[in-house]
Amino acid sequence: MPDTAHSEGQRLFDNQVSPTARLVFYGLLAIVLMATDFKSDYVGKMRYTVSLLATPIYAALEWPFAMGRSLQKTARYHQTLLDENEQFRQQQLRTRGQLQEMDSIRLEISRLRSLLGASSSLRVEFQFAELLRVDLDPFSHRVLIDRGSNDGVVTGQPVIDSSGIVGQVETVLPGIAYVTLISDPSHALPIQIARTGQRSIIYGTGDTELLMLPNLPFNIDLRPGDRIITSGLGERFPKGYPVAEVMSVERRAGQTFAVGYARPLAALDRGREVLLLKVDTAAVDQPAQQDDEEAAATTANQEDQG
Amino acid sequence: MNGRRDRHWPLTLSLLAGVVLMLFPLPNWGEILRPYFIALILIYWTVDGSFRVGLGTAFLLGLFLDVAMASLLGQHALGLVVMVYLVQRFRSRIRFFPMWQQSLSVLALLINDRFILLWILLIQGSRQLDWNFWLAPFVGALLWPWLFLAMDHIRSAARSRAR
Repeated sequence: MPDTAHSEGQRLFDNQVSPTARLVFYGLLAIVLMATDFKSDYVGKMRYTVSLLATPIYAALEWPFAMGRSLQKTARYHQTLLDENEQFRQQQLRTRGQLQEMDSIRLEISRLRSLLGASSSLRVEFQFAELLRVDLDPFSHRVLIDRGSNDGVVTGQPVIDSSGIVGQVETVLPGIAYVTLISDPSHALPIQIARTGQRSIIYGTGDTELLMLPNLPFNIDLRPGDRIITSGLGERFPKGYPVAEVMSVERRAGQTFAVGYARPLAALDRGREVLLLKVDTAAVDQPAQQDDEEAAATTANQEDQG
Repeated sequence: MNGRRDRHWPLTLSLLAGVVLMLFPLPNWGEILRPYFIALILIYWTVDGSFRVGLGTAFLLGLFLDVAMASLLGQHALGLVVMVYLVQRFRSRIRFFPMWQQSLSVLALLINDRFILLWILLIQGSRQLDWNFWLAPFVGALLWPWLFLAMDHIRSAARSRAR
């Protein structure tokens, strides 16, 4: 790379050009690039091509950790495995029990929806992914995950962890993908307050422990502790996923809007495992029918039993 | 062509090592303290003068780093270009400084770079920056003598083996 840089530099400038002129040239070029990158996706293609060069470096960094993990796996004791297995089985049973309750609620909702003639909710699939052991720029709020276009990951896919929204997929390479966290200052997410249903947009602040709602109406009903969930507007994030918890609301005299501060629920800087959501927009109608059929089947069953 | 590439391997290899060190996983508290390895290496080569490391090299390297670290495209490029420009400007002086004065100049360069980064972050709308944002330049300056000696040592060892 330095080779090309060298010859490039020679081609671009003769030695007569003063260093200050070069500084101004490269400086302005960098600033234009930054502005373009921040405001739009024009440079995405370039980012993609150059990232391919960086992939071997990521792989080399990840390799010792992958080795360590696989060693740890093979060295596990039989008894520990059995214990763990038992633990997981119990956990699964518990989750299944909770899911049954969810199922009946979902059936009820879909029945109510069909009564109202509203479209059914989107069907969502999950895909497991793990964060790569690579430290990206600490000020850019992006992470790398070990799934890429080979695994069907696409740009814009929502990423969650067990407690809330983590971010969305930005650039996808064959084996890896970059995810922008919701704490990135360039990230905005359409949300609603769970208690009141009030809609707004939540922004990242550059701090993994703080999100901001900069344009709330002054008389908004909002208290510390209120849950913030996705509103589903913008059609990128599905509706109803937990995002953050309100910490404080600031109403300054003389300002047009009240400002809310919230703490993200997902472990943005600590989690290692995430889930990719696959929102199946194409199959929206079909599952709805399926749900109806299921609903019909269950009602029939109930009638039979009755 | 081949000969030329051969001559460039110390530069290429050290810059590659620098990129790896920038990406190497550290625990959370270490991330903010991580010295700006790639800048230190670039300063070394600019002061050394064996290769024509110029603003073009700094710019392209910065762009690569921006993509590899997923930062704003141009963020590292701008910082490194300004840094190499300053080093070139004062090169004849820095070269003959005693080690502690070199370290101080490196500290000044790294702090200047942090100011550029701060400017970029504030324009982007970042709000939260802790005091430990300013610690990394000091770590870098403390590391400078060791890096300088290590690089010199490796190069002279390689040269004597080549003979």
